This record gives sequence, C-alpha cells and structure tokens, in this order.
Amino acid sequence: MSSTGQLTAPASVPAPRAVPARGAGGPGGRFGSLRQRRTLSFYVFTGPWMLGFLTLTAFPLGYALWLSFTNSDGLSPNPRFVGLANYREVLTDQTTLDSLARTGLFTALTVPLTIAAGLVLAVMVNQPLRGRGIFRTLLYLPAVMPPVGAGLTFKLIFDRDSGSANGLLDLFGVNGVSWLTDPYARWVLIVLTMWAAGNIMIISLAGLQDIPKEILEAAKVDGASPWQSFTRVTLPLLSPVLFFQVVTGIIGALQSFAPLFISLDASPQGMASVPQDNFLFMIHVLTQYFANGRYGYASALLWVLFAIIMLLTALVFRLSKGVVFYSVEPQAAGKRPRTLGGK
Amino acid sequence: MPKSPMTSLDRRRFLAVSAGAALGASALSACAASVDGSGGSGGGSGSKTTLTVMSHDNELDKKTIQAAEEALGFEIRFIASDDTKLNAMLAAKNPPDLVRGLGATDTPYFAARGLMENLDPYFAKSSALKASDLDPVNDVWRYDGHKQGAGPRYGMAKDYSQDQMLWYRTDLLDAAKLDHPSATEPLSYDELLDLGERLVKRRLGKVRVYGLNATGLGNFSQLMGMTASAGGSLFAEDLASVDFSSPEALKALKWLLEYTKADIGPNVVNPNPDGWDWPTYQANRMAIACDGYWFGGAIGGDPKVAKVSRFAPAPQLGSNRISPCFSATGYWIPKSAKNKDAAWKFFEWYFGGQPAKDRASSGWGIPTLKSLHAQMPQNTALQKQAFEVQQQELDYFKVLTFSPYIQLAALDATLSQVLPKAVRSGTSAGKVADNLNSLMNNQMAKGKQVLG
Repeated sequence: MSSTGQLTAPASVPAPRAVPARGAGGPGGRFGSLRQRRTLSFYVFTGPWMLGFLTLTAFPLGYALWLSFTNSDGLSPNPRFVGLANYREVLTDQTTLDSLARTGLFTALTVPLTIAAGLVLAVMVNQPLRGRGIFRTLLYLPAVMPPVGAGLTFKLIFDRDSGSANGLLDLFGVNGVSWLTDPYARWVLIVLTMWAAGNIMIISLAGLQDIPKEILEAAKVDGASPWQSFTRVTLPLLSPVLFFQVVTGIIGALQSFAPLFISLDASPQGMASVPQDNFLFMIHVLTQYFANGRYGYASALLWVLFAIIMLLTALVFRLSKGVVFYSVEPQAAGKRPRTLGGK
Repeated sequence: MPKSPMTSLDRRRFLAVSAGAALGASALSACAASVDGSGGSGGGSGSKTTLTVMSHDNELDKKTIQAAEEALGFEIRFIASDDTKLNAMLAAKNPPDLVRGLGATDTPYFAARGLMENLDPYFAKSSALKASDLDPVNDVWRYDGHKQGAGPRYGMAKDYSQDQMLWYRTDLLDAAKLDHPSATEPLSYDELLDLGERLVKRRLGKVRVYGLNATGLGNFSQLMGMTASAGGSLFAEDLASVDFSSPEALKALKWLLEYTKADIGPNVVNPNPDGWDWPTYQANRMAIACDGYWFGGAIGGDPKVAKVSRFAPAPQLGSNRISPCFSATGYWIPKSAKNKDAAWKFFEWYFGGQPAKDRASSGWGIPTLKSLHAQMPQNTALQKQAFEVQQQELDYFKVLTFSPYIQLAALDATLSQVLPKAVRSGTSAGKVADNLNSLMNNQMAKGKQVLG
C-alpha cells in the first residue's frame, strides 16, 4: 500500500490498533495511551488559539453585548441598564437606516464589480503571453499596498484644487470636479475598493490553473467556442472559488470603513467630514463610539451588523445550492475519505 | 474503571480551563499596568518613580522627556494621545498620571464625571506656581458644576491663543488693492466675508488661492465665539441644550452658511487637503487665516512669509467685543492616577520652570503665567507688531462655558452631517437651526441621562 493509501484507508477497513510507541509507555505509561496522547496533543496545539479566541473574540463580544444593554458612554462611572432600548433605537434611527441602506448598495455594487474585475484580470494573465509574470506582479501590486497608503494617494489624486485628476481636466480647459465630496465621493470610493482587485485576481488565477486542461481540450474537440468553453466549463469549475469570494466580499463590504481613508482626517472629528454618500454603517458605528461617546448604542449597532452578516451569509449559502459545483460533494467528503489514487 | 488524569481533560473541562485562563489573562492585563504604576511610585524600596504621560510627541518630544527625567529624577513613560486608549484606561481605573487635554472643551465633560483631580490644594502649597500669577486663560480649566471659569482648578494650560484673531498676507491684499485690516479695531464678520470674496482666486472651478479660512478650529467653536460676540450664547443656562434659533445664533449660522456657499476658503463641504493652514498660507495660497497668536511661531520660521504677514484682532459679529480661546491646551491629573504628587512636580517644572520660559520666548503661544508675558519674542518687526496687537486683545479675553453633557467632536460631527446638505439644497438658516437643535439636544439629553 502506498503512503497515500495508508492515509486514506477506506472506512470499511478496520482501524489499526494503537501500537504503543517505544519508550512512550503503554496505557499506564507516563504519557498515557496513544489515544490519550493524541487528545493531549490536540489540546496542546489548539490551546493557544482557543486562549486567543476567548480573550480576543469571545470576551470582547460578550462585553460588547453587555454594553449594548446599557447607556454607557465609556467614561461615566455608573452606566444604567436600559434593556432593549438601544436595539429599539436602531430600528427608528434614520441615520442608522440610511447608512445601512447605503452599505447595502455599496455591497451590491462593489462585490460583483470587484469579483468580475478580478476574474477578467485572472483570465487575461492566464493567457500564454510574453512577460506574463510582470503583468501578474504589476496587477497584484495595488493589493499589496496598505489601504491607508492607497487612500492617501487617492486623496492627492482627487483633491479638487491641487489634485492631478483635475490637473488633467485643466489641460483640456474642463472645469475641475470636487471628487472627494458628494455626489462624486461614492465613485472615488468604489474605484478605491476595486483598486485592490488584484487580491481577487490571484485567487481566481489559482482556481483557473486548477482546472484540468483535458476538460477544456475535450470541450474544444466537441466544438465549443471559447465563450461557450468559458461559460459552460471554466465558470462552473471555478464556482467554489467565486463563491468563496462572494461570501468574504459581502462580509468585507458590510464591515468596510474605507471611506475614512479618503476623508480629510480619521480622528473622531474627521469621521464627521465623511461625505454623506460614503457614510457607511461602520462609519456610523465609529462616529457613535468615538465622536458621540455612545458606547452602549454603538455596541448594539455592532451586534445588529453581526446578525445581518450571519443572516446574509446563511442566505448566500442557501442560494448557492445548484449554482456552485464542487468536484467532490462537501457532505460526502466529510463522510467518506477522498482517495488520491487508491480505491 | 477510574479515569486517568489524562482522559479527564475532556472538551468541557478544557473549554472551562481556557475560559478561566482567558478571564484571568484579561484581569491580569488590567492589573499589570497598575502594578507597574504602584511599583513605580517609589515607596521606600529605592526604585525610580515612573510617571506615565499621555501627550503628543511633537509637544513632549524626547528632548523634553530627557530634560524632565534629569530635572525631576523620574522615569517618564510616554503614551501617544489616543482618546480610545484614554477612555479604556480611565474606565479600568488605571489612567496615565498626566493627560494632555483641551481645557476649553474637555474640562466640564471630565470634571462632571469625577475623573479629574482637584488641583487647588496643590496650587495652595506650591511655590513655583502661584494662583495670583496665573493668566486668566487658566480659568477654562475650572468648573464648579454649573459653569466654567469658577470652582476648583482641574488643570493648567501650557500656552494659549485667542483663536478667532487673524493673520493676513499684505502681498495678496496689496495685489488686490485692498486696505489692510486695522491693528486695533476689529473687522465685522460681514467685512471679513467681503474681503475673502475679493481675495479668492479661481480657475476652471478650482480655488487657486483661498481668500479666507474662518473655520480652522472647527465649526462649532467658530459659531460659539460668533454668537457670543453678538451678545448671545449657543448653550442654554443649564448647559443641557443648544439654541441655534436665537437671533444671535441664527445670525452666526447664516454667516457660516454664506461663507460655505461662497466657497472662498476651506469649509465643511470642501475641507483643506493640507489639514491645517500653515502649508497653504506659506505657499501663498491663503490670504487670511483665522488663527491665534501661535500661528506667528510658524510664520516667524519663514522670513519671506514673515515679511508680508500681519496680525489683527478677532472679527466681531455684534457689539459685544470678545476674543475667546477655544483650546487652552495643557495637562490634567486623573483622580485615579497612581502618582499624583510626582505628576504635580512635573506640573511645576513644565509650567513654571525652564520649559515654560522656552515656550514663552518661542512665539508659539501666549505664556500662561503673567510673569512670563514679558518674554514673548519682540525681535523682528512682525514679532513686535504681533506682540502689540496681542497685548491689546488680552483685554477682550472671555471664558465661554462648554457643556458637560457632550463632547466637541459630537457637535462638530452633527454640523458636518447637516451643513453640506443644507448648503447644496439651499435650506434656509431657520430650518437648519431647527434641525441642529433637534439633533444636538437629543444627544445632549442622552448625555445628561448618563451623567444622572
């Protein structure tokens, strides 16, 4: 049996008995039985993560949940328990509802656009071109750039009075545009978001390269045009990768505070200068926390966002049935070990 | 069969242990700094006192820290100013020993929450800092529970400016064939707006040279000062609400809307990309900058700009001539600080010792001890002119009371949300005032509720 076969023994084959390792002691040995040692190593290896999860995720989540039921301002000594008042306010606060709607629109626009742009770039740099590596690097470079740096560059480019975008218009005698304020700021934000499409490109490129050439060649032999081959073979086989990008893209867009990168100043006062069209939900949350000092209400907003993300993710998973094609059924993969060459 | 100790490490127990460890770690992290602080307080074990100071690194630079350590024998732990961190440290009752703050707007908020140490007993005992020598600006650091300017002292300003005064470039005014503003009589805000409109230079929808920046310190402070100069007040007497509908406040709001609409300088719709006035002013792209005396420190560093710059009194909206200070940046000692006595020693050294003298002669602000006023720079023509104008202006200084129920950032945030829409849609000042009253008063009511 090959080594691979050993790793993927079919379920029908009885599992080998645990053989005590030499020197490690038997069931009553210093480190217990093999099963016990496995248990121990599992916990030793997961322990640090678990500790990090509890201190840095579970504890803050719980603390924020507690805050959301109070009127805490983060400083006053005696915050009062207000029950569900903060959650009721979420439903009636027009600024919250507007920012939520704006964030929904931002997500609906940027997620498909970014994925489409990344896919197009991936298809382009997957072609057997001369200097393909250079193109791949150049297209990926913006994704490596820290968002704050990209934001600063965008601010310089799109500044109304001294930016190069208006400098270009000036050459043609066209009036300058106030890019970083309403109603143009939203488009600058969308371009800034798509600026990092190189990330999507890399993942899509990996997915494209994972598609067996034989299948594409078979499609060609069967008379499929390049477009048919792309839409009927490549896209279905790439669908798990695209699905991953949709899910993470939606979560990222809903939590985006990119507008701060192109605002004048990211301080609490600066948050207020974010143009209304770019006043996304997370900007509203940050303003409530750090400009208005409403820690209780802001925490309730975050929990509402958490619930929305969970619901949307569940919805996307449900809608993906019949659209996303796995080469191995995920459920089946869990029940039956996948064989790599063995039967 | 009895379980071995190893098998008893089941999932539940592991999770329970991890959760316990996590909580323990969180608790320990909260204690860690306080242990450090108490250990650092010196006691009798001969260990050096560690004084924790939260400030800006351009104000408390390495050289100053080193000088403080040498002069006071402390070790200084510097923490960069960060509101979020400060809130967390105050909430954990483990704050820095000294905190940089803006006396004009921070004092009521923090004092009303019982977070500031009353410094009166320290001033009473001090030989370096005498209450009689304190410049009136230090009164913004006083709060009696109802108004600023009275009651215990909670902090002290390092230096200050009367922030609605203005600097102008004579070369740009001369080129536009405009008279220079008087060095003794204040302009009216209408005259200032007119000057700004004449001085602005545009090309193809872009502003090449700003005529005027009237909002360098934020819109709310600007409106507060303008309303006061018209004889009114934005805050109600109990400081629990604002009223933009009073004739004086409405006049100020109308002016600000006109200024924004005129697009003659940085405003809430088109802020200055430079972030502050100096780079723009230095580059000959701003004719009038409404900044206080401190701006002269920057101008003085560039002889070419100094040659064409002049200082002028604060413009007035009405007949009640005032010239307030909106920041009075300084330090305060948190009530739960671990090293209050050491912090006070730093206070005496920083506000009354060599650093205070150095600041006084630098021209970057008015000294906060009356005895140091004579050390303000008067070597160049500009410094002499600025000194004279500033000395006359001191008579019009006034403490404007801020509310303990809301922070300045929240008020500026509301203005930034409301004004751009109002300017674009041409909403009347009356309607804008109603909207602002509703939004701000709602927030202040919540702040009052929290404070109890």
